[in-house]
Amino acid sequence: MQSIGVDRRSISGFRGRDVSSAWKHIDIVLLVATALVLLFGLVMVYSATRRFPGGTGILLRQGLFVVVGIAAMFGVSLIDYRRIADWWQIIYGVAMLVLAGVLSPLGSLGAFGTKGWYAFGPLVFQPVEIAKLATVLAVASYLGSVDRVDLRRLGTALVLLVVPMGLTMLQPDLGSALVFIVVGLGMLVVGGVRMRHLSILVILGVVAVFGILQSSALDQYQKDRLTAFANPDGVSAKARYNIDQAQTAISSGGLTGYGLGKGPSTRLGYVPAQQTDFIFTVAGEEFGFVGSGLLLILFAIMIWRIWRAAQLAADSMGTLLCIGVMSMFLFHIFENVGMNLGIMPVTGIPLPLVSQGGSAVVASCIALGLVQSVHMHRYA
Amino acid sequence: MDTDSTHVRLSAIGIVAVSLFLALFMRLWFLQGIDRQAFEAASVSNRVRVIHEEGPRGRILDRNGKILVDSETSIVVSLDREPLRKMEEPERNAVFVSLADTLQQLGVPTKLSLIEKRYADLRYAPQEYVPIADDVDPSVEIYLMERADRYPGIIVERKAIRSYPYGNLAAHLLGYVGEINEKELVERGGQLPGSENSSTTAPTTTAPSTSPGSSSGADSGTRLTDYRLGDSIGKGGVERSYEADLRAVPGERTIEVNAKGDLVDVLSLKSPVVGDDIWLTIDIDLQAHAERLLAAKIQDLRGGRDKDNNRLNAPQGSVVIEDPQNGQILAMASYPDYDPSVTVNGISQEQWEAFNDPNSGLPLVNWALQGTYAPGSTFKLYTALAGYNSGYLRDGTEVVNDPGVYTIENCKGEKCEVRNAGSTPHGTVNMASALTVSSDVYFYKLADKFWNLTDQYGETPIQDAAAQFGLGAKTGVPLSGENPGRLPTPASRKAAFEARPDLFMTGDWRSGDNINTSIGQGDVLATPLQIVNSYATFANGGTRYQPQIVTKVTRPNDLTLPANDPANYKLIRQVEPVVQGTIQIQPDQYAKIYDGLLGVTQSALGTASASWQASKTAWPMAGKTGTAQVSKKADTSLFAAWGPAGTGEPARYAISVVVPESGFGGEVAAPLAFRIMEPLSFGTLLPACLSADQSACAAAADAASAASGNDVTSGSAD
Repeated sequence: MQSIGVDRRSISGFRGRDVSSAWKHIDIVLLVATALVLLFGLVMVYSATRRFPGGTGILLRQGLFVVVGIAAMFGVSLIDYRRIADWWQIIYGVAMLVLAGVLSPLGSLGAFGTKGWYAFGPLVFQPVEIAKLATVLAVASYLGSVDRVDLRRLGTALVLLVVPMGLTMLQPDLGSALVFIVVGLGMLVVGGVRMRHLSILVILGVVAVFGILQSSALDQYQKDRLTAFANPDGVSAKARYNIDQAQTAISSGGLTGYGLGKGPSTRLGYVPAQQTDFIFTVAGEEFGFVGSGLLLILFAIMIWRIWRAAQLAADSMGTLLCIGVMSMFLFHIFENVGMNLGIMPVTGIPLPLVSQGGSAVVASCIALGLVQSVHMHRYA
Repeated sequence: MDTDSTHVRLSAIGIVAVSLFLALFMRLWFLQGIDRQAFEAASVSNRVRVIHEEGPRGRILDRNGKILVDSETSIVVSLDREPLRKMEEPERNAVFVSLADTLQQLGVPTKLSLIEKRYADLRYAPQEYVPIADDVDPSVEIYLMERADRYPGIIVERKAIRSYPYGNLAAHLLGYVGEINEKELVERGGQLPGSENSSTTAPTTTAPSTSPGSSSGADSGTRLTDYRLGDSIGKGGVERSYEADLRAVPGERTIEVNAKGDLVDVLSLKSPVVGDDIWLTIDIDLQAHAERLLAAKIQDLRGGRDKDNNRLNAPQGSVVIEDPQNGQILAMASYPDYDPSVTVNGISQEQWEAFNDPNSGLPLVNWALQGTYAPGSTFKLYTALAGYNSGYLRDGTEVVNDPGVYTIENCKGEKCEVRNAGSTPHGTVNMASALTVSSDVYFYKLADKFWNLTDQYGETPIQDAAAQFGLGAKTGVPLSGENPGRLPTPASRKAAFEARPDLFMTGDWRSGDNINTSIGQGDVLATPLQIVNSYATFANGGTRYQPQIVTKVTRPNDLTLPANDPANYKLIRQVEPVVQGTIQIQPDQYAKIYDGLLGVTQSALGTASASWQASKTAWPMAGKTGTAQVSKKADTSLFAAWGPAGTGEPARYAISVVVPESGFGGEVAAPLAFRIMEPLSFGTLLPACLSADQSACAAAADAASAASGNDVTSGSAD
């Protein structure tokens, strides 16, 4: 893919003006994988929602978000990520304000009394999706601009991570809060934080998780959902139901699945939240091991290409940006698919680019746009 | 930033990523490749329900094809709980309250608590309709259907129930149908709710069966095993004995439901197959005639007193008529009776208690086969046979002087004298005349001789002869609850004493016991059915049949066409007479007994001659009266006979009449038997009354019997 020769630098000299030069370095493999996953996602949203009275509307809206997402991805990828990083304080600040605002009366009350989104008429916006991105950008920009990560800088980076995490916990949205931990960990590892410091952080983190599980900070239903996978007999029938139905749907798909629109669990609505958190069951049931395995392979290709972009990045800011996005995607994929397969606790984490939900799709596309930007502008 | 370290750390993250994906792939393969079948079964049981559907039972017909028990359609108000479950509780309660009010106003008293209880009743599958009011008027159906939007979740359905065109007639024999109880269900291999270890699936639904090819599965195997709670089952009588034929082969609706339990699709539909028809040996016209006369006689007797001032309570009574040539039961009347229609929608607790209150006369009991009585002198038929069997009597001309009193041989003490009824002397009697005039002394002497010569005749010549006639054992009639009666022997006396020494003075059998047994007293007990069967056995020359109540089983082609037209049914099974034993007796000895029994009605000295004397044109009959003494109560009146007798033609009817606490056999049972048989001999039996036109029809029947019965009633009061 890379062109070799003396003109490498000269080409990048036209950066910003000659758009076509940046286009040449776009990661086609990542782009194609992204497009295929998005398409796959639309098909599954169609299958999961067509039994609803307003199923067509949901699909059309999701399609619209996909289009908006792709446009945003291309738009972001064309801008040099360093130009964007220049604005990180403002972007981060606004994102935190918006995230905090969801806790105010402006935010909408959701299921179980959680507050996680703004409603503008029919449109629903989940600020945590943008906050994740803003945090990745902030940490990457901050750590990428320094040579050595000393304790003070580590402390600053931790503050950048803990603020959105705390705000998310207050909603409370436990799954998304976990994303900040994982993203932070990945970025700190690659960002050059000393192993000693990292080890202490990991130990503190483990203690904190157990502390949270023991304390009364979480409602029982959250604890149940988190511990259901480890202790299948000791959980409420309701928590158990989610897990059982998801595994039943996926497993009964077998090698090749029932075919689109024919999966009984999907058709008859046996899996709760099937168009969002449990959308992987649609792939499992209707397309079997072949189809759901293909989806996992596409995701693996994406992760590989993001990891590759991190390696090829021109500077550590680009590397960190890619690692942040990669950690975010990896956690989302593993946690979401893992809970569908019954090996991870049930938390409200969407499957990137696939789960129905506008904010998540657009945010994921922007994240991939950032990665493409790092890749496209690596010679600058 | 140290580049090498960055590379190492990037590689580490890459390895983590690869591991996580590997973990997902392995789990995915485990679920879809290895563990698939278990989950696929779970997926099927998730969404597929089999709804069990009972069909209409077969009908019960009399021997001529008259419908005694029919299946008719009942309108039932039920809850369809699917839409009700979706409602908020206040809204649902409002529907219930409004429904209870409406039903009340429409004349169907329904308690709100019942509706709520049925709504939460776990015995019904979620998709099943739950009945709350049975057998409502069509106007209720119209009212509710016109306002369906106001009563969401309330549906009106039609289901098959039992109906009884002849009302109470033959109620005991027919039995009734009720909801299967848990014991009956377990006996038939059914599953109780909760015995399956699944909390999510509904109790009375099951996963689809794996045998799809049972197309016209009208085999009794399916019927006998495929029961669910809430199903109907025969609880007594023919309904119970012929359950396997009468029961419809249940249908099955295999449906697919979504996560909320809503019906999405009907996957397969197997309609129930209507049960087979049972043809009884009963002639309903004769049954009606016998029941009516029995009831009238008992009601007439009640309140009177006998010569010893014992009250004539006549708490019950029974009449059994059998065809001596094949053992077919033509009529089986038991009094008191009950209205089987009260059982149609389940017997209420109050009704059940009333039925089982001893003061009610226990109307559910079929006294003809569940009641046991000392047979009294009707037993002498068997003692007579014992006399010949043993060789003690040779040609029946042996005479005995009967002064009315018999002194037991080798007896010391006060109770050595036994007497005829009223100590009446009969002079010189032989076998025939002893039977005709009912000389006890004749048989006392025989029994006394037997006991004194046990080395010669064995210990039980009398019991052996009675056993040949079927006494002391169930006749094997295919009806539940039959009592075997009791035929005491020295051995059984000893065993009883050893088991409960506190209840008996001695375990020894003495002459007095043999003497008591010879005239059907002491410990002897027999059912009216055993008695009629023994006389039928003698009447046909010694062939003992198992009493038969069903002639055939047929499968109707069209329920709307006449049941007795052979073009409308297919024969499934013909029931043949079953011979249980034969009695060998020399013709001249047979003739002696026959003559003696014929004299009972035909000779002026006969104990039952009054009725026949009054109507010389009626068939002559041969039989024996019995007057069994029961301590501190009025006598049990018995009569067993057959006819026509002494005319050279084969006997066509054997009859036994037993009415306890009513007086002499010759005064109660025999005249009643005469009047029951009278229209048979003249061919003037009236058709039975359908309960629909009961009053007019019954009045006609009463008038007819009054016309023929006047002289007889007066004649019997000797």
